[in-house]
Amino acid sequence: MHGLARLSVSILVAAASGAATADVAKGKSVYEKTCAVCHGSGLAGAPKIGDAAAWAPRIKNGNAALYASALNGKPPAMPKKGGALDTPDADVKSAVDYMVASVQAKPDAKKDARKEDKKPDDKTAKPERPAESAPAAKAGEPSVVSVAPTAALAAVATPVAATTSVPAQTPAAAADINAFNRLLKPVGRRNLPPAEDGIHDPANDGTIALQAPLAAYGNLPKSNAGNRIDWVQSIATKKITPRWDRNDLKAEPVVMDLNIVREVKGSMPDVVYPHKQHTEWLDCSNCHPAIFVPQKGANQISMAAILLGQKCGVCHGKVAFPVSECRNCHSKKKDLAVQKTAEAK
Amino acid sequence: MAPRPTTGPIGRALAALLTLLFVLAFLDIEPARAEYGDVVINNYSDAAGMRPVVFPHWFHRIRFRCKVCHADLGFQFKAGGNQINMAKIIDGQFCGACHNGDIAWSVENCNLCHSAKPGTVTQVHESTIQKLAAPAEPARK
Ligand code: HEC
Ligand code: HEC
Ligand code: HEC
Ligand code: HEC
Ligand code: HEC
Ligand code: HEC
Ligand code: HEC
Repeated sequence: MHGLARLSVSILVAAASGAATADVAKGKSVYEKTCAVCHGSGLAGAPKIGDAAAWAPRIKNGNAALYASALNGKPPAMPKKGGALDTPDADVKSAVDYMVASVQAKPDAKKDARKEDKKPDDKTAKPERPAESAPAAKAGEPSVVSVAPTAALAAVATPVAATTSVPAQTPAAAADINAFNRLLKPVGRRNLPPAEDGIHDPANDGTIALQAPLAAYGNLPKSNAGNRIDWVQSIATKKITPRWDRNDLKAEPVVMDLNIVREVKGSMPDVVYPHKQHTEWLDCSNCHPAIFVPQKGANQISMAAILLGQKCGVCHGKVAFPVSECRNCHSKKKDLAVQKTAEAK
Repeated sequence: MAPRPTTGPIGRALAALLTLLFVLAFLDIEPARAEYGDVVINNYSDAAGMRPVVFPHWFHRIRFRCKVCHADLGFQFKAGGNQINMAKIIDGQFCGACHNGDIAWSVENCNLCHSAKPGTVTQVHESTIQKLAAPAEPARK
């Protein structure tokens, strides 16, 4: 985020401390990219960066234990490598070092850190809190995820790392900085053919034989997320007729039309869980009892669990439409007492 | 420790949640851009000198309901969680239940399945956690 500002600050810091190191820079960037979502705010019980009280008991177990938790995950909420499985082991370790260093920060780093706070366009930067006083700051902690760790943290050079100094990279062309869509994926980069999708190996002869998604999606009803296909409508309008049995073309699903309304505290519309759309695709045993006890209200479901891939998140956000489609689930207006929801669509 | 978001001050949880959802909704970025739901399976392939396997959900769900694989054939809902290997496949389990020259093309087409870039780790592509976990990667390079 805010690469230019951040980089120039780290260059400043580097110049000041004379100890910019590959590992620290790497640790910071991995932290920002992968770990900050949880460790920036303490989401799901993650030890917060800069929160000495949260880290102290963990640091006691030694670096090896911390590395192991970061690399292998710590069930149920700390994902393997923070979920970014393609991060090299060494980089994950650097990110651990970086977070550990945040609660062992040296006082002289603070000066540079303040400079960064003044960057006018840096909306997400939170007011600096000196790392030494982290426990005190805990109570008033902003709960917004702070994606940006502070320059103070960047400046903390772990002694081990201090040997391999690299020149800071020049940031990408400044012209891009105020581009209209900085982070939104451009349309042309969705539904790419296998050879260009970044996962298939273009050098593999089989890759070329594979079908491109758009070739198959031609006349299917569209949606705004995931595969960008409305799979519910695709089946309802018989645009596709996926088999219910591997061999028996005549086998039909046992569709059950039963809606379960889950009341939601706060302003969000209530959730209507429709058995109908699910039993078109799935067997009862796919959900009952492994994911949900078949009894209205008997299951604790929350958005945090869903985001972490549990409950509805076992499928939604993996294969079924993604979690970004709030209104697909939160479909029952609160004021209207008897809203007809037999068809969620 | 279990995520217990329902405990604790609700406003705090909500703020964190909304930030996450913001990230989800708007930071729709990924270094790799494969199709939503593509599963890479790489428990053994790399070690065995084969390219990792890419399983395209979108392609199969046009042809089969989830139930066929996840109830009848016993695929667990977990990328890499089924200990699939070639011996099981040629005995008609997992992919081999269909890729047998009868329902679909058979196993000698190694490179149609083993098609990922070497070194690609086991994952569900574009899953929530991937999107949440990589919020700050610049979109263009
Ligand atoms: C989805 C949220 C999430 C993400 C992303 C995440 N963590 Fe964690 N992390 C947690 C939670 C929750 C815990 C607390 C686990 C526990 O003690 O049960 C934790 C704990 C840890 C611990 C302490 C483990 C111990 O043994 O006490 C380390 C080290 C750690 N995370 C490193 C990382 C690194 C490095 C990254 C980024 C590459 C990262 N985490 C990304 C949620 C996350
Ligand atoms: C329920 C049956 C079934 C199972 C199980 C199954 N497949 Fe398939 N698969 C098919 C069918 C049918 C096709 C289309 C075959 C054709 O075009 O002749 C196909 C095609 C494919 C394709 C080619 C897609 C394209 O672009 O043409 C790949 C790759 C593939 N399967 C991989 C796998 C892998 C990997 C597994 C196991 C993890 C697997 N399949 C399990 C039925 C199945
Ligand atoms: C995609 C997952 C899923 C599938 C598939 C599924 N269910 Fe459910 N079922 C749920 C959820 C979620 C609830 C609500 C649980 C709650 O409120 O805590 C539920 C609730 C129920 C209930 C309790 C209703 C009540 O009023 O107490 C019954 C009975 C039930 N399901 C039967 C079935 C049957 C029979 C099938 C197969 C035809 C099936 N379910 C398929 C997810 C599923
Ligand atoms: C076992 C997998 C699975 C689980 C668990 C699951 N779903 Fe679904 N859901 C699906 C599939 C598959 C569809 C079909 C649409 C698609 O794939 O995008 C679907 C469709 C829906 C639809 C219909 C949208 C429409 O356009 O009509 C709603 C609403 C929904 N899910 C809500 C939920 C809620 C709420 C939960 C948790 C209580 C849940 N789902 C759990 C797999 C699942
Ligand atoms: C797959 C279905 C699904 C989607 C998509 C979904 N939610 Fe939820 N949401 C639920 C369920 C189920 C609950 C739990 C309701 C209950 O308490 O029983 C919930 C609860 C909530 C709550 C109450 C607090 C909590 O964590 O339990 C909020 C706020 C919320 N959702 C916001 C959102 C927003 C914002 C989005 C869109 C980015 C969204 N949800 C998308 C299913 C969904
Ligand atoms: C229908 C899809 C499919 C086809 C075709 C296929 N494989 Fe596999 N293969 C898999 C899957 C899935 C795995 C498990 C991948 C993993 O976990 O790394 C696997 C694993 C392997 C492994 C490592 C595990 C083991 O069993 O030793 C080797 C080696 C391998 N395949 C070789 C081949 C060769 C050679 C061919 C062609 C003759 C072939 N495969 C064709 C799907 C396929
Ligand atoms: C042709 C077989 C097939 C069909 C049809 C199929 N899947 Fe899968 N599914 C797989 C395979 C293979 C995996 C990966 C298992 C592994 O890596 O061991 C998988 C993995 C998953 C996972 C686990 C992702 C994770 O969290 O790691 C989910 C969720 C899932 N499928 C949902 C669905 C839903 C929902 C449908 C229907 C819309 C569906 N699948 C249809 C074969 C299938």
